[in-house]
Amino acid sequence: MDQIIRYFFDFSLIAPYWPDILRGFSLTVVMSVLTVLIGIPLGLAIAIVRLYRIRSLNALIILYIDFFRSIPQIVLIILVYFALPYFGIVIDPFWATILALSIVLSAFAEEIFWAGINAVAKGQWEASRSTGMTFGQTLWFVILPQVVRISIPPLTNRAIGISKGTVLGSVIAVPELLNVTSSIQSNVANPTALTVGALLFVALFLPFVLFTRWLERAHATPR
Amino acid sequence: MSTDVPETDDILVIEGLGKSYSGHVVLRDISFRVRKGEAVVLIGSSGSGKSTCLRCLNRLEEPTTGTITLTGTPITGPRVDLNSLRRRIGMVFQGIHLYPHKTALGNVTLALRKVLGLSAQEAEQRARIQLERVGLADKEGHYPSQLSGGQQQRVGIARAMALEPQVMLFDEPTSALDPELVGEVLTVMKRTKEAGMTMVVVTHEMQFAREVADRVIFLDKGTILANGTPEEILIRPEHPRIQEFLARTRS
Repeated sequence: MDQIIRYFFDFSLIAPYWPDILRGFSLTVVMSVLTVLIGIPLGLAIAIVRLYRIRSLNALIILYIDFFRSIPQIVLIILVYFALPYFGIVIDPFWATILALSIVLSAFAEEIFWAGINAVAKGQWEASRSTGMTFGQTLWFVILPQVVRISIPPLTNRAIGISKGTVLGSVIAVPELLNVTSSIQSNVANPTALTVGALLFVALFLPFVLFTRWLERAHATPR
Repeated sequence: MSTDVPETDDILVIEGLGKSYSGHVVLRDISFRVRKGEAVVLIGSSGSGKSTCLRCLNRLEEPTTGTITLTGTPITGPRVDLNSLRRRIGMVFQGIHLYPHKTALGNVTLALRKVLGLSAQEAEQRARIQLERVGLADKEGHYPSQLSGGQQQRVGIARAMALEPQVMLFDEPTSALDPELVGEVLTVMKRTKEAGMTMVVVTHEMQFAREVADRVIFLDKGTILANGTPEEILIRPEHPRIQEFLARTRS
């Protein structure tokens, strides 16, 4: 027991590193938020474009979705960071990670939105169009509000899963929380920093996990 | 046409309407007129094409051949402003299709605001008049899930009527309802007709057809088998196919 406390809970050792840890933590928060803010709207936009059923475009969309759902996030991050410069695009590790994760999230989000759009009864389109509403108005005022409602639980789940991928930024030296805490661990030869990291990750993501749980319950109970 | 009403009284003129899906013919050479204030009821067994025919009238189904005009304006053809035409044609569905995320009032006001561009206040005022007409003034804040099927369908009628269309299309409006809820919807439809609304109704309610229709059209295998008064079609039908159909619906 003493040993466990000494190895994992010796907070005195990491005291000088708190500013670094907090910086790492805030970077993780910012990256997660940006990933969600870029990935989900992008996914929705792709789903809407797909709705216009332009054959060649839809083939491209499906290729995009399937490719980015298949590729491991870490591989994509490395590709974006190390391969894009050969095409003249140089981005810093921070944005490379966000870009890679947003793209992956957009692919999953598109599928969730697409499923949601298809789950809304065709009669909703007909009822709205029969009153003279345009395609766009019907989409915006009738269909999407219903789609968002059914999509939020799976979307939140997926967003949590992919936002946690910000830790993968450490492979290209983004000083996010895992990177910071694991270097502290090697510096002081004690894994307490990782304990702190773990607690902070849980503190960040647990509210969202609880939120989906609450949502699912709210959806299960009829109004 | 039995009476000498001038042509200008025609709200809908359907000529040579045909519809086929990849070679399978659903409608063939359908022609009829609907005059102002008239209620035309389409009957026939399922698969006879009556719903498809109705849905062609606001182009929820794309007719393959033929022309349709609404008070002289062509509905069919490539250069038609469908959205502005559709706001002149109300439709009520078998599946009701109220917007589940909006209250009864919200269901009625949506098109008033987005299509007619009314302010929230004007739209609500107009919507309340319609909800009152269908007897649901006290339910305006209810969501569809909190209403019975009959109440939902009455909101559906209010939603279509609020745009003050020139013609109302009813596509089996009571077929999905519990039997005890059919009456309230038919009553509202009867009142709509009495208020002078022009209507085209697809229904299996023969009693309603007898009481309310000015003209009954019997469809069979995608063509019009008979077009006449309720008396001619429903009470003294000459065609054996119609006699057989009526005998079956009575039992």
